[in-house]
Amino acid sequence: MQKMLISALLFSLLVGGSVQAQTLQIEGSTTVGPIADAFAEYFKRVYPDLNITVKKTGSGDGAAALADGRCDIATMSRFMKDKEFKDAVGNGVYPVAHVVAMDGVCVVVHPSNPVGALTTAQIRDIYAGKITNWSQVGGPSMPIVVISRDTSSGTYETFDEIVMAKQPMGPGVEYVNANPQAHARVKTTQGAIGYVGIGFLDREVKAIMVDQVAPNRQTIASGVYPVARPLFLFTNGYPKLGSMVHRFCAFYLTEKGQELVEAKGFVPLTAY
Amino acid sequence: MNLGVRRSLDRLFTGLTGASIVLLMLVLIAVLGPMIYRGSGAVLFGGTVEFRKMQRDLFNRADRDALAAEIAETDEVRQVVHEMVDRFKKGIDIAAMSSQAREINREYGRELRYRDATPEEYTESREVARAIRDKLEEAFGSQDIELIRKNIAEVLAHKDEPRFKGTVAERYFTLATDFLDAAEHIDLSRYHDYLVALDEVEVILFGSIEHPGLLGPRPNQPARPLAMTSYGATRWDQAQSLLDRLVWAEKWVEKEPGQPLVKERSPRAELFHGTALEPLFTYVPEQLDEMLRPRFTVYWQFFIDDNFDSHYFGGVGPEIIGTLLITVVGMLFVVPLGVISAAYLVECASDGPVMRILRMSINTLAGVPSIVFGLFGLAFFVLFLFPRLGFEPKPCILAASLTLAVLTLPVMIRASEEAIRTVPRSYKEGSLALGASRFRTFVTVTFPAALPGILTGVILSLSRIAGETAPILFTGAVSMGPVPKSIFDPTRTLSYGSYDMAVGDRLAMMVPHNQYGMVVTLITLILILNAVAIVLRSRVFKKLKGH
Repeated sequence: MQKMLISALLFSLLVGGSVQAQTLQIEGSTTVGPIADAFAEYFKRVYPDLNITVKKTGSGDGAAALADGRCDIATMSRFMKDKEFKDAVGNGVYPVAHVVAMDGVCVVVHPSNPVGALTTAQIRDIYAGKITNWSQVGGPSMPIVVISRDTSSGTYETFDEIVMAKQPMGPGVEYVNANPQAHARVKTTQGAIGYVGIGFLDREVKAIMVDQVAPNRQTIASGVYPVARPLFLFTNGYPKLGSMVHRFCAFYLTEKGQELVEAKGFVPLTAY
Repeated sequence: MNLGVRRSLDRLFTGLTGASIVLLMLVLIAVLGPMIYRGSGAVLFGGTVEFRKMQRDLFNRADRDALAAEIAETDEVRQVVHEMVDRFKKGIDIAAMSSQAREINREYGRELRYRDATPEEYTESREVARAIRDKLEEAFGSQDIELIRKNIAEVLAHKDEPRFKGTVAERYFTLATDFLDAAEHIDLSRYHDYLVALDEVEVILFGSIEHPGLLGPRPNQPARPLAMTSYGATRWDQAQSLLDRLVWAEKWVEKEPGQPLVKERSPRAELFHGTALEPLFTYVPEQLDEMLRPRFTVYWQFFIDDNFDSHYFGGVGPEIIGTLLITVVGMLFVVPLGVISAAYLVECASDGPVMRILRMSINTLAGVPSIVFGLFGLAFFVLFLFPRLGFEPKPCILAASLTLAVLTLPVMIRASEEAIRTVPRSYKEGSLALGASRFRTFVTVTFPAALPGILTGVILSLSRIAGETAPILFTGAVSMGPVPKSIFDPTRTLSYGSYDMAVGDRLAMMVPHNQYGMVVTLITLILILNAVAIVLRSRVFKKLKGH
């Protein structure tokens, strides 16, 4: 009897797999993940038969998964690199980018810190280890605790390119592996400086002005705030019109899509 | 060494070992205690009427009539808050008032066109209306109370004129009285401060597109895109912290130049001293109970519900199913493979250099980091093996289970090997002497005798399979997706879900109870699985002893 039950269970598991529902697999960046989550949840409600999965393993994995054909849409918080493009094209996959939202990389300090503005050059010197005390930039005399994201994250790459201008970071820099951790580290440490996506700004950390520009929706969307970046969805070629992939990739163009982008703490592309 | 010293050394040893056990227990309690305490908050908490609304809308679970009555009662208490905010806003929101005045003027013009009026009357009425509008706008833009009084009085002088009777222009006069009423009570030079402060209060009370508020969106507001911001505070602890933010304004101020700023809390009511909004800051704390109706809630459905908005609402049902599926399928591979390999190693293998290398490989395999297995699983099972077997090369439960099976195989083999080795030789010899073949001897004599030890291996690998994250990262786990229908679907799991919540969204910071809840669920699940295996082992053991 038990054996029969078990074999029936196994059989149903195997047979169930042969029934093909329409699927949509999304994979990639942890930063873009929340947007994909929100879109997916909306799609799930509108198209109940759609089998939609979201996975957050990093921008690099997203690119690799698209090249391998393991996913339909790759979410990336940076543009594809040369090698990733070549790999994809080598597999007969032609990546097309869709910019789904903007994200500002906001430089944050502990709210007790009186320093409210820094220039890009000053921030670069802090991360390079040339400035080590807040008194050197007009603050109280306290050592600077420098927090950075790990080098494999897209956020790090944006910061590295725009602020650091490819100059190496100093030896005293502390690396954390995600936005919430960077936020938590800055909020609990008086002399800390770190950088997080705009969605993570709240009253427990203070965003400072960079080159006299405060990070907010307007300055980021218009490109006035210097440390901003677009967030991408990559597909294999431009998706077939009317297909689920197409609907998903064009969803950010609708008012609903832009609203969701904003609700998730990112900067919508249009003033919808 | 005399006897006394020896005895005291013995005692010292006993004491030390005892102390280390106690220390271990304390550490365990210190680590698990707070986690379990916080995790229990996902199931046991003070649920407000907003929680019950959410349960009704998202999970279709409510006593609808009782809830409707409750909502009507709470809405009545909340109405006062809405009125206070609206009344204050009337004197503050200049832009809105100006556009309202312009709108009235336009509509009045439209209405006039459809009336039987001579051209002269028409022109005159329009001019008077326009003059009223200009007077109002001048008053709205002014900070001089004398000028405002004068303008409003001039506007109100037109009130009884027959040409405005029953027309849209009557709204001019309510607008004017409301504004004068508000203007008399506020410091006109602080318009801008009030606007900023009001905005903050409104976000705390009613939430925004990004943040949930204390009472949820106002009835006339457009629907919010996410479920998480469509309700007020669903939990009493959330309500308490929002209330604290409402009553106390926080500011970082400089006490001494060159020193870090100091946080200062002041009653927010001070900002609105003398205005229509001031009583709000005593009304809300007094009536919060009535507005939210907290009730002790046992949300046991946490273990079966799906989640909404990346675990902001809901539970971990699909995650539990996914974890169980991966574990069961993984065990189906690892147990037979492990036992058979162990049997070969003990019973059949000769002690040559090849075997030594094989043993060494198994031992090394046990020390390989789990992420390596994850990448191996992706490269071998998903990308290499699946296409050749005719499956789609996509991550799925089968791939994840296979990867985890490979990961735990060394543990299983070592445990089974030890167990088989400890079966007394005399058992086997007896069986062989009776004429049984080696295979039969193993199946009927050695294996049952080794079963308790093998079950220990099962327990060890079970915990490993259920709890690992890295190997399934690339082979079968997703952060969002439907409940799996077959082993060829990817799935959500508790372990990957916990990781995902910790690194992904800002939401985990807003709902720590759900994050801890998921972790505690994983721990509990593993404990239950282990308990089942342990009970099974003790029964087998008893049977073997012949009881």
